[in-house]
Amino acid sequence: MEVKLDKRYELGVPAQNAWAVLSDLESVASCMPGASLGEKLGDNAYKGSVKVKVGPATAQFGGEVEILSMDVANKSLVLKGKGADKGGSSASMELEATIEEADGQSILVGLATVIVNGKFAQFGGRMMVQVSDVILRQFVDNFIAKAQALSGSDVTHSADTGANESHSETANELNGLAVCWALLKSWLGGLFGKKPAS
Amino acid sequence: MAKQIVKMNLNGQEIEQLVDSRMLLVHFLREQMNLTGAHIGCETSHCGACTVDIDGESVKACTHLAVQCDGCDVKTVEGLAEGGVLHAVQEAFYEEHGLQCGFCTPGMLMRSYRFLQENPNPTEDEIRTGLSGNLCRCTGYQNIVKAVKSAAVKLQQKESATA
Amino acid sequence: MNAPVKTPEERKAELQGMGDSRLRKEDARFIQGKGQYCDDIKLPGMLHMDIVRSPIAHGRIKKINKDPAMAIPGVHAVLTADDLKPLNLHWMPTLAGDVAAVLADEKVHFQMQEVAIVIADDRYIAADAVEAVEVEYEELPVVIDPYKALEPNAPVLREDLAGKTEGAHGARDHHNHIFTWEAGDKSAADAAFANAPVTVSQHMHYPRVHPCPLETCGCVASFDPIKGELTTWMTSQAPHVVRTVVSMLSGVPESKVRIISPDIGGGFGNKVGVYPGYVCAIVSSIVLGRPVKWSEDRVENISTTAFARDYHMDGHLAATEDGRILGLKVDVIADHGAFDACADPTKFPAGLFHICSGSYDIAAAHCSVKGVYTNKAPGGVAYRCSFRVTEAVYLIERMVDVLAQKLNMDKAEIRRKNFIRKEQFPYTSAFGFEYDSGDYHTALEKVLDAVDYKALRAEQEQKRNDPTCPTLMGIGLVTFTEVVGAGPTKMCDILGVGMFDSCEIRIHPTGSAIARMGTITQGQGHQTTYAQIIASELGIPSEVIQVEEGDTSTAPYGLGTYGSRSTPVAGAAIAMAARKIHAKAKKIAAHLLEVSEGDLDWEIDRFKVRGNDEQFKTMADIAFAAYQQPPEGLEPGLEAVHYYDPPNFTYPFGIYLCVVDIDKGTGESSIRRFYALDDCGTRINPMIIDGQIHGGLTEGFAVAMGQQMPFDEQGNLLGNTLMDYFLPTAVETPTWETDHTVTPSPHHPIGAKGVAESPHVGSIPTFTSAVVDAFAHLGVTHIDMPHTSYRIWKKLKEEGVQL
Repeated sequence: MEVKLDKRYELGVPAQNAWAVLSDLESVASCMPGASLGEKLGDNAYKGSVKVKVGPATAQFGGEVEILSMDVANKSLVLKGKGADKGGSSASMELEATIEEADGQSILVGLATVIVNGKFAQFGGRMMVQVSDVILRQFVDNFIAKAQALSGSDVTHSADTGANESHSETANELNGLAVCWALLKSWLGGLFGKKPAS
Repeated sequence: MAKQIVKMNLNGQEIEQLVDSRMLLVHFLREQMNLTGAHIGCETSHCGACTVDIDGESVKACTHLAVQCDGCDVKTVEGLAEGGVLHAVQEAFYEEHGLQCGFCTPGMLMRSYRFLQENPNPTEDEIRTGLSGNLCRCTGYQNIVKAVKSAAVKLQQKESATA
Repeated sequence: MNAPVKTPEERKAELQGMGDSRLRKEDARFIQGKGQYCDDIKLPGMLHMDIVRSPIAHGRIKKINKDPAMAIPGVHAVLTADDLKPLNLHWMPTLAGDVAAVLADEKVHFQMQEVAIVIADDRYIAADAVEAVEVEYEELPVVIDPYKALEPNAPVLREDLAGKTEGAHGARDHHNHIFTWEAGDKSAADAAFANAPVTVSQHMHYPRVHPCPLETCGCVASFDPIKGELTTWMTSQAPHVVRTVVSMLSGVPESKVRIISPDIGGGFGNKVGVYPGYVCAIVSSIVLGRPVKWSEDRVENISTTAFARDYHMDGHLAATEDGRILGLKVDVIADHGAFDACADPTKFPAGLFHICSGSYDIAAAHCSVKGVYTNKAPGGVAYRCSFRVTEAVYLIERMVDVLAQKLNMDKAEIRRKNFIRKEQFPYTSAFGFEYDSGDYHTALEKVLDAVDYKALRAEQEQKRNDPTCPTLMGIGLVTFTEVVGAGPTKMCDILGVGMFDSCEIRIHPTGSAIARMGTITQGQGHQTTYAQIIASELGIPSEVIQVEEGDTSTAPYGLGTYGSRSTPVAGAAIAMAARKIHAKAKKIAAHLLEVSEGDLDWEIDRFKVRGNDEQFKTMADIAFAAYQQPPEGLEPGLEAVHYYDPPNFTYPFGIYLCVVDIDKGTGESSIRRFYALDDCGTRINPMIIDGQIHGGLTEGFAVAMGQQMPFDEQGNLLGNTLMDYFLPTAVETPTWETDHTVTPSPHHPIGAKGVAESPHVGSIPTFTSAVVDAFAHLGVTHIDMPHTSYRIWKKLKEEGVQL
């Protein structure tokens, strides 16, 4: 099952900060709720995993993430990730992410094609777009926080931090119940005329 | 796996059993209590083949834990007949040819039993809506509706006879 | 004792024999929750089996790690294809001459395919173990569209068939091609089309659906290592065939294999084939020496067991200007899934599809069916289809409507014009079927009168001219002939075993009886209807005739129940066995009454001496005498067995009419009326027939109006639970009106034809005919199923229909 996402997020931080976070795979990975980077596989490829928690149950998706190309001048990169969980779901994503500038403010533009296979597609297919929306919102919030924390310090890009063994765990796991709650809130909000935050 | 004692009144008998916390009521009835009347037709609580009666309500035993029945009154199809005398719904299903393969029948009977107590004099539409939680693949429901109507009449006659 | 003398009518009524709407003998256990279905069976020491399944539709298995599952307390074994290889059981032969994987051997071919099995103490531990088995896959490109599967560069699905240019049914010209099967006369058909003033063509898809009986498939396999005997309770519509297959696969002699089909919660063709689950349970039981139970859940049932249909059909009719059909041509692409496991008689890879000339006298016809492999579950023949007759009848009835529309002719009128006439029976069709009997004209007029067809058309006309009318009204009409009762052994066999059927009857000294047949009821009421046949033949009340089926150790060999074959074939065997007993009884009666056989007349339940009503012997008297001192030359006892090889199929027919009102705003259809007239020849129990018809119509309603099995590009089956798969409740299901005519089959001992699949075969095109008819004034000639509100709403928008 294929889902195409086309998103623009206003970041409220200088473009350089945003690019510094985006072009550092470890930084970006740590913004993804529940994600952690593992072993380095190549120059721009890592093994990664995402842990999803729904109530007492936890599922762990293991996979690979790789930066396919990077255009520093235009602050744009293409990233490919794929993963599978042992329970029979798999997903792959190709994402083109760009930091655009407008009036001194930066915008994170993402074009993604996500293909989901297995149990997720069978049972969760109809929820894909909405769930992605919520997860991406969390990601962007983390991203903005990280970019803001960089202001004032050196923001030169460092592509290779040699993180062979270190696992940069995020503070929060991807909490399935929280996602459902957020979904419910945004749906209810939609009923009363409020547009859900994109 | 944690085990718990569960006590309930099952078809008029007080019982006490040790069960896994995660054991579904339908498996408890079928495998531990050897009451195989309640059947399993799906795992999404749509088909109703597992319908039983708990504390005066129709309940799908496939989405109910055995431990949730602690202190409850549970009735299954095996408890419908009393003293060897068939319940009016059982007679009616037989007389109106409201069953073919028999797999949905225990659930249909248990639901009809409770439905007629909720609505003793239903219209055809009300019967169809009242039984909409129970699927059947064989009968097309037409004779089941006739059976429930007939059972309603039987129960009302019994009611006025004993009144 | 001087009991009051009963009239012949009273005696007949007491028998509750043929024609009597007597209540069913099997109901007592079902209404008290005492049926015995496979999952009810509990044996000492029994273990539970569950299955690890592939999440992807096409891929290679890189690694299977059993350890985490084996580490769970209570898990006894985890088996994969590698474990079955030494027994050569990792692949098994299918009913269609192909092979199917029992457990995926290095490759998976469809989503949810069986990859490994776990055996554990209880079903909960088994479920835990399934989650714990780790399998790594390498995904391969997926083929979902059968047309794309035939492209030159399409991915190769069946590497195990590499290089095989000959399949079980002839030449293969592409790696995903299974067979091409033809019937009729192509050059005659081409000639008819070349010279025809009018031709019409229509492409239609009969979508993939699933029979979804309320009870899923399962078995309890119990191998006794001390006796070397295998007993398996199984949800099987054909226990004897399964016994033969199991014996051949396992090496255990058939005399030591016992298959028992207990009560079955609906079959509908879903329980004919041998599934990997059965084979694995049997193997596990043999290996572990303990009983093993396998009960699949609903998702597994919908995703992997025998689906139905998935025929992409192109129909063509040639006709005269005034609507006389001159020729028929049909081309079909048949999507069989990853293995050809169609449950068809061996010589017919497209089943009895060539009944597609229908109820019409068509001189020249040709059809061709091309079977294709795709990354979907195997199957194709199931769901009350009578071996592809659902597809055939759909095709011809749609084509006749299309032709009628082209010529601006009324749908009933064009049918009248082309019907095989009563005088033409027995009628041999252009495809070689010899239709036994029929009177289509009478049946059609009966239906049209009953619904006041003229008034309905007038109402429709008035509504079409009224822009304020909130609905589109459609009238669907289908006049089908179907073919059942497979079948004559000279053309019908399953894995080489001829499709005869059997009955043995034994009368006890005190006048009651026991009878066993080679078929197996799944709700059709055999315990009652079979007893009724014997009751009428032998004058014994059906109430005291015990009917048993399904235990291969006691029942005579039969081919099982599917394709509406029980009454045509086993029913005939019953009558013939009864007549053997009748003949012996007559001899005994003659002996007891001291007359010659020629002086005796049979009346309901007794032999009477002609001209002397006081001198008679009832069957009960004769039974006792048979065990006392039989006459010279006769053995003691009173029993017979008959194996019946039918001389022909039987051809039930029907006229169905449906009125639908479609909401112009929402696309919701309301079935205002459905009138179903069926002719199944001699009617054994009208109440049971009506019940079967209600059920078949309801399943037809489900197929036409809502069932589908959508696949995405990656081969994920979207909608394999009852959340999505449309099983109508009592709320959606319309009220059915039934009617009948009786045109007995001249070649059948009791003139009966079989009935249970007709309502399904006939109703599905009727619903489509009605929905299309609602749009016909806008030039719409066909709309593919399912006719969900959403799809109809889209059509309304497409056609610019405003509220």
